[in-house]
Formats: sequence, C-alpha cells, structure tokens
Amino acid sequence: MTALTGTVEARPRIGLDFWWLPRALILGLLAFAIFGPLANLALWAVAERWYFPHALPLEYGFSFWARVFSPRGNAMESLTNSIVVALLTVTVSLALAIPAGYALARLKLPLRRLILLVFMIPQAFPNLPVYVNVARLFYEIGLNGTIAGVVLVHVTHGLVFAVWIATASFSAVDIELEQAARCIGAGALQAFRDVTLPLAMPGLMASAIFVFLESLDEFTGSYFVGAPDVNMLPLLLYSAGAGGNYQIASITALLLLVPSIGFMLVVERFLKADVLSRVGR
Amino acid sequence: MKILLKAMTLALALGVTPVSAAELTVVTAGDQNMVDYINEYLGPLFEKQNPGNTVRVVGTGPGDAGSQKITERFEAQAKANAEKWDTDVAVVHEKFAGPMVEAGYLEAYRSKIDTGKLVSRANADMALGTNVSGYVMPMFNSQTALAYNPALVANPPKSYEELVAWAKEHPKQFGYNGIKGGASGVSFVMGWVYAFGGTDPNKLMNGPFDEAETKNWDNAFAGLKEFTRNATLTPGNAGTLDLLGRGEIAIGPVWVDMFYSWQADGRLPPELKLVVPAPGMPGQPMHYVIPAKGANKELAEKFVALATSPKVQAEGIVKRFNWYPGIDAKYVQPELDEASWNKLFTDISPDDLAKYGKTFPIAPYNKAILEAYERQAAN
Amino acid sequence: MSKRLLGLVLVLPALAVIALLFLFPLGISIVGAFESDRRYGLGNFEKAFALYSQDVIFTMAIVGFSTLVIGTFSVAIAGYLTLGENPRAVAILRWLYRWPMFIPFIVVGQVLRTFLAKNGLMNNILIGASILTPIQASGFLDWRGIVIAFVWKQTPFVTLLLAGAMASLDRGTIEAARNLGASRLRILIEIVMPQVATTLVVGLILSFVTMMSVLSVPLMINAQSPTMITADIAFRINAYGDYGVANALGLISLGVTACVAWIYLRQTMKERS
Repeated sequence: MTALTGTVEARPRIGLDFWWLPRALILGLLAFAIFGPLANLALWAVAERWYFPHALPLEYGFSFWARVFSPRGNAMESLTNSIVVALLTVTVSLALAIPAGYALARLKLPLRRLILLVFMIPQAFPNLPVYVNVARLFYEIGLNGTIAGVVLVHVTHGLVFAVWIATASFSAVDIELEQAARCIGAGALQAFRDVTLPLAMPGLMASAIFVFLESLDEFTGSYFVGAPDVNMLPLLLYSAGAGGNYQIASITALLLLVPSIGFMLVVERFLKADVLSRVGR
Repeated sequence: MKILLKAMTLALALGVTPVSAAELTVVTAGDQNMVDYINEYLGPLFEKQNPGNTVRVVGTGPGDAGSQKITERFEAQAKANAEKWDTDVAVVHEKFAGPMVEAGYLEAYRSKIDTGKLVSRANADMALGTNVSGYVMPMFNSQTALAYNPALVANPPKSYEELVAWAKEHPKQFGYNGIKGGASGVSFVMGWVYAFGGTDPNKLMNGPFDEAETKNWDNAFAGLKEFTRNATLTPGNAGTLDLLGRGEIAIGPVWVDMFYSWQADGRLPPELKLVVPAPGMPGQPMHYVIPAKGANKELAEKFVALATSPKVQAEGIVKRFNWYPGIDAKYVQPELDEASWNKLFTDISPDDLAKYGKTFPIAPYNKAILEAYERQAAN
Repeated sequence: MSKRLLGLVLVLPALAVIALLFLFPLGISIVGAFESDRRYGLGNFEKAFALYSQDVIFTMAIVGFSTLVIGTFSVAIAGYLTLGENPRAVAILRWLYRWPMFIPFIVVGQVLRTFLAKNGLMNNILIGASILTPIQASGFLDWRGIVIAFVWKQTPFVTLLLAGAMASLDRGTIEAARNLGASRLRILIEIVMPQVATTLVVGLILSFVTMMSVLSVPLMINAQSPTMITADIAFRINAYGDYGVANALGLISLGVTACVAWIYLRQTMKERS
C-alpha cells in the first residue's frame, strides 16, 4: 500500500484535494443508501406515535421496550437461546465442513460436483412445504424441543456456506507448501494442522460469520423443532414484522444486531489486519 | 344456605382437583397482541386462580400462515404417533378448525365446561361448512370493514356499487392487497362476490356446494379485474393500513380489531373511520381448541372456561382489545360500563353489524372463489 | 488408505447430516409433488404452470437481475478497497459497506416497506432537502423494491469475499501495471478480476440460492402479481392446504437453481483439469 501511495504522491498539493468532491459525493450516497433504512429502524425503536404527515415521530418513548422486556415476555431467554444455538451451529458446521472441504479440495473425489450441489439443496428448495415432514421426523426421534434439534436444523441450512467456502479456502492454499512440509518429515495430519489450516483460516472465519448470521435469522425451522421449549428471538421478530408492529420488530432487530456485530468484531481479531485472504481460488 | 352450598362445592372441587404443578402450553396464531393478551392478562389471572401452575405461550405469526403452522405441528405429531402432544390449548382461525376436527386431532370439550352454554351463535357450531360443534369455543369475533380518511372521502360509499362509482372518479385512491398476503383483501373479494356474483349469499355461506354456481361469477370477476386496474395494490393487511396512514390511499378494507389496535399504538392517525358496505363483508371468529392428546387436558379446559367467562370476555376481549366478544353479547354487556361497550360500536352500529356482518363462504366455495380470482382477475 | 476412500470418509459426516435431516423429509415432499387426486402424475406441475408460469419467469428475472447488480457493486467496492489511493476514503468505505449484512431479511423487508413508499422516509428526506417535489415522488413498492432489498442485503456478503480474495493477490502485478501507466479501472478489469473470478462466482451463486428462497421480502414489499415463487408456495399452503402444487413449485425452484450452479461447477472443473 505504501509503495502505491509513494508513486502517486507526486501530485501537486494545492491545500485542497479536489478528488474529495466526487469521493464525498459517492461515499455520501452510499451512506444514505445504507443508513437511511437503518435510521428508519432506529426511529421506530423509540417511536411512540408516528403517522403521516409527520416526517418524524410525534412522541418518543420506551414503553415498547418495556413490553419486549416484560418479565413474562422472555425476550432475554430467547436472545440467550438464539446466541447459544448460533455459536453451537458455527462449531458443528465448521467441524463438519473442514474435513469435507479439505476432501473436496485436495482429494480426488468421485462426483465432486454432485456432492457440492447436494449441500446447496436445503437452501435452494423453499422450505415451507418440507417443514411438516422435518417436524414429524424430529418428533419421531425425540429431538423436538431440544437445543440439539434446533442446532441440527440450523446446521443443515448453514452447511452450504461452510462447505463451499471451506472448499474454496483449501483450494487456495498452495499445495507446494504442504508438500514441502511432508518432505521435511511431517505426517499428513501434522502438515494439515500446522500448514494448511492456518492458511485457510481467514476463509473459514468468513464462513463462520455467515453461518452465525444465518442461524440468527432462521425462524421457521426453529419454531417447528424448538418451540415451545426452546424459544428463539427471530420468531418474535417475524410475528411483529409481519403483523406490522414496527416498534417491537425494530427493537427485536436491534437486539439481534448486538450479537451479530459482536461476533464479527471477535472473529476479525483472528483475521489479522482485517484481511480475508485466499478465499475462492 | 347459599354459603353452605358454596362451601360444599368448594370442598368438593378441592378434593377432586389434582394438586399438581403443571405447565400449560398455549400456542396461538395471530398478531403479537394475542401473545401479549395471555402474557399480560390471562396468564397471570389463571395462575392466580390455580396456584402452582404456570402458563406459557408461543405465537406462530399473523394470518392463515400462523394457523397453518399450528395445523402442521399437529399433523407432524399425529404422524409420529406421539403419545403426549406438546400443545395444551391452541387458538386458530375458523378456517382451520374444520380440517382439524375431521382429522381427529381435537377433544370435544365444550360440553364439559359451563361457559359452553353461553354461545349460541352459529359460527361456534359450523366452521365454513364443517360441523365443529362441541370442539371449539370462540375466543372473539372479528369483522372487516372499509377504513377511510374523512378528509379525503366526504361521503363514504355505503354499498359496493357506490364504491365502484367512487373508485372510478378517484383512480388509485382505493387500495387492497389482492388475495395473497392478507385476509382483509380476501374478505373484500368475498364481499364482492356476495354483491355481484349472481349467487345468493346465503347459499355461499351455508351451502350446499353446487359446482354450477361457479359459472355465474365470470361477470363479477371481469368487473373486479377492471376495478383492480383502477385501484392500488398493497402488500398485505399491514400494507393497507400503512398506506392509509400515509395518505397514499383514501379507503381500503381492514380488520376492525387491527385498525383499532394500530390507532391505540400510535401508528394510525386518530381521524380515520370505518364503514361496512352493503351487502356486507365477512368476519370470522378465532377458536380455542384442545388437542385430544394434550398432556394437561383438565387444566386446558379450565383455561378455556376462564377465557370465555363473561368477566374475562368483557375486561380482556372488549375493553383491552376492541374485539367483538366470542360468547353471546348479552352475557358480556352487563359486565361493562356503557362507555366501553359503545366504543366497540363507534363507527359500526349493532344494527349495521347484524345486517352487514357476514361469514365467509363454506370451504368449497371459498376455494373456488380464490382460484377463480387467481385465474381471471389476477392475470 | 487410498485417497478416494479417505476423501469419502471425510465428507461422509457432513453429507449424512444433510441426507438424514433434510433429503429424507424432502423426498417425502417430492413424492407428494407427483401425487394429485390420489394418482401419480404431472397434474400438479400442469396446474403450477397454468397458474404460475408468469411468476416463475418473474422470479428468475428478478433474482438474475439482482445478481448482476450485486456483482457490479461488489466489484466496484472491492476494487476501490484494493486499488483506492486515499487511505481515509478506503477506511471509511471499509467501515461503511458491511452494515446491511447484519440485518435479517424480514427486517430488511419491513424497513424498506416504509422507506421506499411514496410518502416514505426516503422521499420525505429528498423532499425536505428540496431535491424532489412532492408531485415527483413515487413509490418503489414493486419489483424495484425487491431488487433494492436483495442488492442492499447481499452486496456486503459478496464484497467481503471478493475483497479478501483481492487483498491476497500479489501486488507486484498491480504495481507493475501502474508503473506502466495503466488506469486503475483497466487494472481492475484486466489484471485483478481474472484472478478473483472464481471467488466472485462462488459469492454470486450463494447469493442467487439465498435470494430464490426468501419469502419475507416479496410478501412485505411487492403487492402486485406477478410475485415470486416463494410467495406462491406460501399462498398455496396457507390458503388451500395444497402441498402438491407447493412441492411442484419448490421442485421448479430447485431445478432453476441447480442449473445455474451446475453451469458454474462445470466451468471450474474445466479450469482445474
């Protein structure tokens, strides 16, 4: 980066860098596009009364927060459940995806294409008609109303992200590095652990973020397999959002934002200088 | 004497009731306010009257989708041959009560609770043409109406014909959500068929089903297609209320209870009003049902008995939520002060309700109308 | 152990989860797609095409178009992050672009419903800033709203993948081109993009798949017909209890997505061998 700026610094400095005009305009437009709708979210979270023709809420207040956090409303329990399930989903997905991704990337598997497509099916087939049968299966094997059951449902949906991105990450690791390690005498597992895995880690962390976010969003499967024992926050969000109860939907969305951003910040520490390298080669 | 009698009944009740701490699971379709109703009012009341037991509630979302989720839940457990189901009480839309009864999921509990006698309205016995007598207790009755902005609509249309004329003069000022995404649009279409379909509305509502009648509707749907071209389409029940609130449309079909709760929550200007056009628009009850294989059936019956008692119907259903009561009005009215009772009828008088409050057509006609709309009016 | 066998063993746990927990119930559903009026046949598919063929085409067009727009924006943003020369602007952009990724689709649908409406927040702000007059204001609550929702939510996802891939490239090639006087746009198109094309396509396909199965956005934003396949599936189930046609529509949706993904996979297989 410094090398680049070095060659360009030769531009005469007249005090004001004119390039900031178009830059500011575009950044400003982008900020409006991103934060405009989010401002809407924030406003509804604190609005008591808001209707046309008023451009801003008439009354502000926190009475809806009291409603969401009412002692029987179990918002905190739902939030905790959602976070726990999401973390477990990431762990299980990665545990399944790392060996699968490595196999698909390095080892010559027959039907490689087909296997990759199979992982896509839970996302590609709209789930609504299938949930009845999924629920029935889970009732039969007794996994209904358990955290393990909900985690499995989320893993099924998240595996496509985990496996596809893991495959791509492992493909991107230079095979010569592995071979060099093997030459020096490392065993296959050791070479994998010490050479391949660290190099593929940024891509795996990226897939962890996506799986986490996906799990926090998921509600239909969680309802069928989890409720009423395992309550998840997105179901509350869905009822409120679909019913037009903007205040509660916005507050719940803000609640969900907290673990999402928190997780992202934590994972970025592992990415070292905020760089996601070598995904997709 | 009275005191002695009361004491004896109490002693008997205490002796017979099993004193065990149980958790009652209620699964309810409908908006968030249905969940709030149980969490904030009915649940604590029940727990106080039955110490040691707790009530927990799960909401499945608004509209038919919410009730469908409950039906699928029952279906999954039935197919898995579960011994004890995980739901004790469910609250579903009328449309889904019939199929549940036919599939054998439900307990016939109405005769076992004393409030069962307080309902005489037909929709507690027949649900869209299926006999559900004894299996359901209505929680409340809802009604659809046209909501309008008096500033933009000086003379609200009193009938479907007047509405068509008005809409022609004010293009795009009428909005509804078609038939997908919300039942307010569906009820508008049903009302349209009642008005212009050429079939006697009573036959549509009570049967028998006659395939030939569907041919009469072609004119009506051609007219509806033309009308829709002149109207604004909205994204669902909430969408109609949204656009009304923002002044983008002047008039549209809404659920009366949803309308009032939006006004109470400050999402709709207080000036908007309601009118029911002739020959009428349908409404529907939501029903309490108890699965036959539920784990806590006696407790569930007590819960429904409490929920349909006149006091709770007055305080909870009418006063808190502006719903029309599920049990007969004559039992509920004495429990309320006049002001609260009249609030229900601010825009729609009891006479209007009696004349223009219809029910949905029986299931085969219901399905035929929806399909005809899809084929003829939506393309 | 032969490599192939080892490979299969490593993949098996993941495959098993999918097979047992999804493919098995899906199989039951699919059988239902071929069952109509107690006979087996293509009756459900005929009905699906009779009533919903317009919606199928609409869905493919919308999702395809959104994918293209997402691709363009991601390349632009990721390109600037890699080739941008003002460190402050790059830092601002890097902080800015990620936010939409954290918002669930249902919230996106709801927020955009009130933002993009004719008297919604966006038009109110524009009118307030005197950029627009009230007469010119128009609502975006149709197919444009759906595209905006998809692009808004999915662009950060693809950009994240793409920026990472670009950041790992050998700067040597880029600097050599700069020294020779190539413009940054040219570097982006001729040098950077060919090297990260695979990542871009992975991201776009994953986005395509996700967008095809979203229900909340079309329900909350698009009122008109035609609408997306998922909305029709929901309607079929909730209004008619008709799982046959719903499953048939689901199979059609799966078919479309599988074709797109297959094309990609064929492409990458060719490159590797």
